[in-house]
Formats: sequence, structure tokens, C-alpha cells
Amino acid sequence: MRQPQFMRSTTFHWALAVAGVLAVFVVVLFGFIYWKTDDYLIARSDTMIARQLNFIAGLSAERRRTAIDEHLKQDSRGVQYAGLFDPDGHKMAGNLEQLPPGLKINDSVQTVTVVRTLAAGRETHAIRAIARRMSDGNALVIGREVDETREISHVVGQALALGLLPALCLCLLAGAWLSMRAQRRVEEVNQRVQRIIAGDLRERLPHRNIDEPFSKLAVIVNGMLDEMEAMIHALAGVGNDIAHDLRTPLTRARLTLERGRTNATNLEQLQGVVDKAIANVDQSLAIITALLRLAEIENSRRSAAFGSVQLPEMLREICDIYEPIAENKKIDLRVEVRHQLSVRADRDLLLEAVANLVDNAIKFTPEGGKVEIELLRGDRETIVRVADTGSGISEQERDAVLRRFYRSDKIRNTPGVGLGLSLVVAIVKLHGFRLAIHSGAGGRLDIICPDPQPV
Amino acid sequence: MAKVLLIEDDSETAEEITAELADRGFEVEWSADGIEGLDKARSLRPDAMIVDRLLPGMDGLTVIEALRKEQVRTPVLVLSALGAVDDRVRGLRMGGDDYLTKPFAIVELIARVEALLRRPAESRETTLRVGPLELDLIERTAKRGDRVIDLLPREFRLLEYMMQRSDQLLTRAMLLEEVWNYKFIPATNLVDVHMGRLRHKVDGPGETPMIHNVRGSGFILRTGP
Repeated sequence: MRQPQFMRSTTFHWALAVAGVLAVFVVVLFGFIYWKTDDYLIARSDTMIARQLNFIAGLSAERRRTAIDEHLKQDSRGVQYAGLFDPDGHKMAGNLEQLPPGLKINDSVQTVTVVRTLAAGRETHAIRAIARRMSDGNALVIGREVDETREISHVVGQALALGLLPALCLCLLAGAWLSMRAQRRVEEVNQRVQRIIAGDLRERLPHRNIDEPFSKLAVIVNGMLDEMEAMIHALAGVGNDIAHDLRTPLTRARLTLERGRTNATNLEQLQGVVDKAIANVDQSLAIITALLRLAEIENSRRSAAFGSVQLPEMLREICDIYEPIAENKKIDLRVEVRHQLSVRADRDLLLEAVANLVDNAIKFTPEGGKVEIELLRGDRETIVRVADTGSGISEQERDAVLRRFYRSDKIRNTPGVGLGLSLVVAIVKLHGFRLAIHSGAGGRLDIICPDPQPV
Repeated sequence: MAKVLLIEDDSETAEEITAELADRGFEVEWSADGIEGLDKARSLRPDAMIVDRLLPGMDGLTVIEALRKEQVRTPVLVLSALGAVDDRVRGLRMGGDDYLTKPFAIVELIARVEALLRRPAESRETTLRVGPLELDLIERTAKRGDRVIDLLPREFRLLEYMMQRSDQLLTRAMLLEEVWNYKFIPATNLVDVHMGRLRHKVDGPGETPMIHNVRGSGFILRTGP
């Protein structure tokens, strides 16, 4: 048989466990009260019969009989026992037929069993009794029934039933209620989440007051959803940029081909048209390649290719490669290395990043300018600096240049796909390095490589 | 006539590659999946293979590994999506094979297949000669006829690479990878600038040009016009 949903929830199981523990606790508590009360009552009754014994024993032999009779007559509830026996154990007075067997005549209160003869028949009673041998050889016995404790246990039992059952029921009810409430919230959340999965990114989880754990959780999740929504919108923006940047060369290619098909009159013209179209398609492919490369770097978590990279040697190599290009533009390209430094990195990627910076610097520096690659030592960090005498990057542009496809209006006519710096940032991030862009006259970009933390 | 086996599942790409290779005088066999491709590689014994990395039936790299286990040393050019260039693919270049990322230009593909087919033989020659050009690998000197050419180390390395592969189209990407050890295509036309300088030194005024620029594709070093 399937249990109802709420009975299978952990909340309900917890409620059950709590109810169980509570029940055990209450039973122990009542038991303790019963035991203590019983002890107290017996002690009191013991004192009473001892006092009674002392009183009767203190009387003269003749008056003892009357005192016993008096004593028994005053007992309306019929719980008192008394008896005077001669040295042979024959009854002389009282309501005990014989000396209770097992009763030691030693002045101490004991529990014994007596048989009482009534009109209705014989009854066996457990009583507390005390006995003393008198100076004349007779034995005096005083006793009192302790069956009262049974009544107390009855009362205690009743109280227990009265208290415990409703408490248990309450526990179960509370458990069921809490469990169902939690289930309802989960169901509610589930419905919203399903809507989010279905694509409604503006949906948020319900929350009431912040002190409730469920609401706290909902607020946290909502915060995450806000962040994700913003990210997805940003991605969509990038997607639009990509579409735009791809469409431009493709549109040009299409136009060229269309016009060529109509207007070209000989093979040479047609080839010219096709060459132009191919150049435009190549531009589109270059964008796709650059994007894929960017994605490849951003997604790669591999550090297997990491090793110690000697920076001076690497920087000289870059300088060596770009030197002719700089010379063609009459730019003074030089490497300034003051320290023999190395970092842990993927050499190919780091070379690509620095080469990109140098490439950019040469591109944006006017003829006759200067580009300097420096290797510096900072406070617990190694800095690779590429500085130039170009126009630099203004404060306003600083964030924008890191965005994909951003091309400063100043450089609209310079060839490139506008992904260079994004690539540098991706590589730098992969290594746990930082890229710093300085504003002010001249361009200055630093790749800051913090020293590895000592393990 | 060199025999080339093409294993590529996209029929349109395969058709273009086949047509282009046939135009250049290759005999081409085409397989659309890995298992059939492996069979053909065993039975036809091609001189070179072009293998797409992602194939139905059997992954391109698995095909190559299977062949290598059978001691088949046919040079292979692997076509791989850019995002899928991992260490296994990179390792190909170390083993004398090559890879090309999609999308690629057809001239790039042809140039690389030709390079695979005409891998320079291991030689103990310490002097390279192409027509009037002479390169002493020990002395690290270059001469064209009697004229001594003064070369920077990088230029020497470039000329050495080109002389080992004379009469062969060398694309910019190939030069970047092999001469400069660049694993990426820089934004600037690095190769053209370096090549321009080298050409200036190799082809003096009045001499027949030896370094030729093939429009849109790359460079060739040859004696003839």
C-alpha cells in the first residue's frame, strides 16, 4: 500500500521521532514522580506506625488492650492493623489472627503479608508492620496497609493517559502539517522552476518573510537567477554583435558576386569579382576562427601544458618577429629586460597574448613612434609591460576595449576583427594573471603575474 | 601519380577536395566512414591520407592508430574542428603527420598534402643547393652564385626551410608553424614582411626572381620563372 505523500517526507519522520522521544520522556518523568511519591508515603506511614508502637508500648500492660481497641476503632478506612500476642503466639487483642509469618520482632518496619478474615471471606494484604517484645514477654504488632500506592499509580496512569495521548496526537498533527506545508512550498517552487526551464527567465521564486529558511533560500536562488538573466542578456548582445560583424563581409561578398554576375564581360573581370568575394568570405571565416579560438581558451581548464617560461627569452623572440614590421612603419621597437624572470604558464598561449599586445601597439602607434616591451618586478609579482607612444586608451574606452568586437571609432579603418584584446584577457585569466590598462598619454598595458602562493 | 585516400563524411566537402586534388594530378579515393576508410587504407596502400576527425563508425584518430599498429606509415592530414584540437591532435605534427582546422582554404589543404608527400628525406648534406642558391648549414652562410648573402638568424632559418621544400607551395600558416613556431595566426601580415626582406636579399637587382608570391596562398622558391 502506498503511504500518503506527507507521511513519506522527512519532516513527518522527524515529527514522529520527536513524538516518540517526548513519550519516553513523559513516561520516565511520571515513573519518577510515582516512585518518589510512593517512597514518601511509605516513609510517612512507617513513622506513624513506629510512633503508634512507642505510644502503646509505653502504656501499662492492662491498658494496652484498650489502647489497641481504641486505635482500631478510630480507623474508619480499615487500613490499620494491630495485635498483641502472648509469648506462645496466641492472640490476646487486636485485629490480627496470628503473628504475621516472617515478621521479625526487632523494632524495625518491614513489609509482610497478612491474612484478614472478613464477613465476605479471607483477604491477603501486603502491609508495613513493626513488632516489639514487651517486658512481660508479649509481642506487640502495629501495621498499616500500603495499598494506597496502588491508588496513586492509578491516578498517575490516568494523568499520563490524559497528558500523553493528546500530546502525541498534537505532535503527529504538527508533523503532518509541517510536512504538508513544506511539500506545498516545494510544489510551488517546482512550478516556478518549470516555468524558468521552459524559458521564462523573468520568473522568480516566491518568498514571504526573510527570517524563514525557505524564503531565505528563495532569495538566494533569486539572486542567482538575476545574475544569470543578466549574463544571458549580455550573451545575446554578443550574439547580435557577432551576427552584425559576420553579416557585413557576407553582404559585401554577396553584392560583389551579384554585380559581377550581371556586369562582368570577360574572365579577368569575373576573376577579380571572385577574388573580392573570397576576401570577404575569408574575413567572415577569420571572425569565426577567432571566436572559436576564444571559446577554446575560455573553456579550457587544462594546465598540463604549463611549465616554467623564461620571459626574457620569450620577449626577445617576440621582438625579433615584430622587428621588421615595426621598422617598416619606422617605429622603434625594443625590449627592456632588467631581471631574469620566469613564470609558470603555457608558453604558446602567453606568447600569443604578448604578441597580440605588441601587434596592437605597433598598429596604433603613428610612424616615428616607439614601442617598448618591458619586464619588471613588482611587489610579489612579475609585470610584462607593453608601452607605446600612440594615442592610448581613454578612461571611457577602458572597459569597452575588453568587450568582444569593440573597435574604437578612431581605428575603424584599421584591419582586424576586434577580438585581439578579448583573446589576451581570456589567456591572462586562464593563467590567473591580470591585465591592467593605464590611461593617460600613450598606450600602456601590463600583464601582471602574481607570484604563486607558497604551498 | 600519387594516390590519396580521403575519409570525410560530408559529401559536398569531399567532392570539392576530390575535384581539386584530381585537377592537380592526384588519384583520389573517397570513403564516407571510418570503418570503410580503414579497409581501403589497408587494401589500396595510398601515398597519403586526408582524414576527418569526426567520422561515423570510427573516429578519425582511431583509424590512424589502428594503421600505425599495423606498421602502416602512410602520412596523414587530419581535419579537425577548431574546438576539438586537443593534445592528441597536436601530437600528430610531432609524428610527422599534420592537422588542419576547419574551416580551411583549399589551397592550404593542397599545400599540406603536397608537403606530406614530399617530406624532405633525412640527409647528411651540410650544404643545400637550389639553382644558383647555396646554403652552408655548418658555416651558416648563404651565397647566390658568387654573391654572398648576409642573413639574420631568422632569415637563415626561413631560407633553409624553403630550400628544403623548393618548388613547393608554402602557405603562411605552414611557415608560421614551422619557422616561427607560432601556434596561431597573428593579425598582422608577419610572414609577408619577413618574406619581403628575405626576397630583397635573395633576389638582387637584375637577377631572376626565385622567391615567388602565389597570390592569396603563399610562397614558392624555385629556379624557373
